[in-house]
Amino acid sequence: MILSWPAPYRFEGLGARVLDWIAVALLEDLPAGQVVPRRVHDVDLAVWRSAAGEVQAWGDRCPHRGMRLSHGFVRKDKLACIYHGWQYDLDGACDYIPAHPDLTPPKTICAQRHDCSTQDGLIWVALEATDSTVPETGDRVPVRSLDVAVSAADVAAMLGLDLAPVLPVDGPFDIALAVQPSGPSHCLVHAVAGSGADPKTVSRHLEDLRNEWEAAA
Amino acid sequence: MSGGEGNHWYPVALLSDLTQPRRTQLLGAPITVGLKDGAGWVNDAAYHALPTVERFGHLWTSPGNPNRDLFTIPEAESPGRRLVDVGSVRVKCSPLRAVENFLDIAHFPFVHTDILGAEPHTEVERYHVEIREGIDEVWATKVRFFQPQAAKSAEGGIITEYMYRVPAPTCAVLYKTCPPRPGEWDIITLFVQPLTEEWCEVWPWMALYDDDATMAELVSFQQLIFMQDRSILENQIPRKLPLDPGMEVPTQADMTSIAYRRWLKKIRYTYGAQLVAA
Repeated sequence: MILSWPAPYRFEGLGARVLDWIAVALLEDLPAGQVVPRRVHDVDLAVWRSAAGEVQAWGDRCPHRGMRLSHGFVRKDKLACIYHGWQYDLDGACDYIPAHPDLTPPKTICAQRHDCSTQDGLIWVALEATDSTVPETGDRVPVRSLDVAVSAADVAAMLGLDLAPVLPVDGPFDIALAVQPSGPSHCLVHAVAGSGADPKTVSRHLEDLRNEWEAAA
Repeated sequence: MSGGEGNHWYPVALLSDLTQPRRTQLLGAPITVGLKDGAGWVNDAAYHALPTVERFGHLWTSPGNPNRDLFTIPEAESPGRRLVDVGSVRVKCSPLRAVENFLDIAHFPFVHTDILGAEPHTEVERYHVEIREGIDEVWATKVRFFQPQAAKSAEGGIITEYMYRVPAPTCAVLYKTCPPRPGEWDIITLFVQPLTEEWCEVWPWMALYDDDATMAELVSFQQLIFMQDRSILENQIPRKLPLDPGMEVPTQADMTSIAYRRWLKKIRYTYGAQLVAA
């Protein structure tokens, strides 16, 4: 069945943006004070943590000259653009322009914030405002993230499932995958496993699964 | 070609480096450049000869009928200057973004850290910008900025004074304080060859007073600076330069870029520009 989605949600055809919350990283892979680029569907994000550890997910673009904020740097509780050092606070508002140190920037200069949350050791992002709660991964702990050259919808289909924020995987281990759609034929999977499992063994198993998916796609 | 971009002059080769014919492209169209009997030539895809000018060590051409002569830089001809053929760098960005970045000083402390700028010396004082009538060029003057190492010949931090000039849509000339010769200006240029609207070949060129550094040192200093700029230029969204307000937010420090964008609109130069806010 072909579904048609409202205009802003149309991307990648079937399965696009059906997820309210999307995992973008393991919390332990993003230390406090750092920023990384992430792509969710066709949206580029700068995901960063303040020095105190608070997690933020913003559109990857400084409103001044369009520079990617994921190339920027964190100072205390602010993200600064690498191009001209403009600093943005936790509300996304620009509060310091180094070229004009005495200027109070107008409130209209701000980064595009997305809802962002941490749960069960994963960082979750909602591209559109949502009332739904952040997905839970059960009694599992994060293992690792993997790049997969297959769409998120196809990974779900190969597991015999509909696309959902967390996909349980049948097999020898208690594994679930939080999937991050990141292109027409690409996704990231953030794997969690029952706390008893050996992370190294689970990691090998995940690589085997990835090889199977990519071979079948 | 959508607008008048065909009727301007563009750099397509370094004359000192044109030992054999070379294929390249200009405004999305393939061209071939070469030397015959010491004179540069340019052919389009149909083997028609395009007009040429040899100036500033480069070969220039135009696919159309240029309505003005290629600009000159009289100061560069004064004796004692070292003319530095830097070479070229390919950059995946709009030619207009490359020029605009060259006109910007506020990025020095963050992109050229401890060379052309350093925190806490980040303030950009008000300077003067005008679109000069008659010659129809953008000029920024009385630009002053603290620089830890303004040039290869600079020792220690100094307040550097700059003048910027945009004599053609994809070319910019910088006149800056010359550390060994107070009262004279070093000349640093950025000549941009638009391969497409989002891809360019950038030819920096310099005419400096510097008797100490080797040519290789002068070239590598400029290459280091431009490599730092490239990491910015290839990561701006959108790739094309937005000419309409609303897409980006300028401040007083950006007066030169505001004038540059306004001038591009005025002369209807839109190759590499984004006209409607996305």
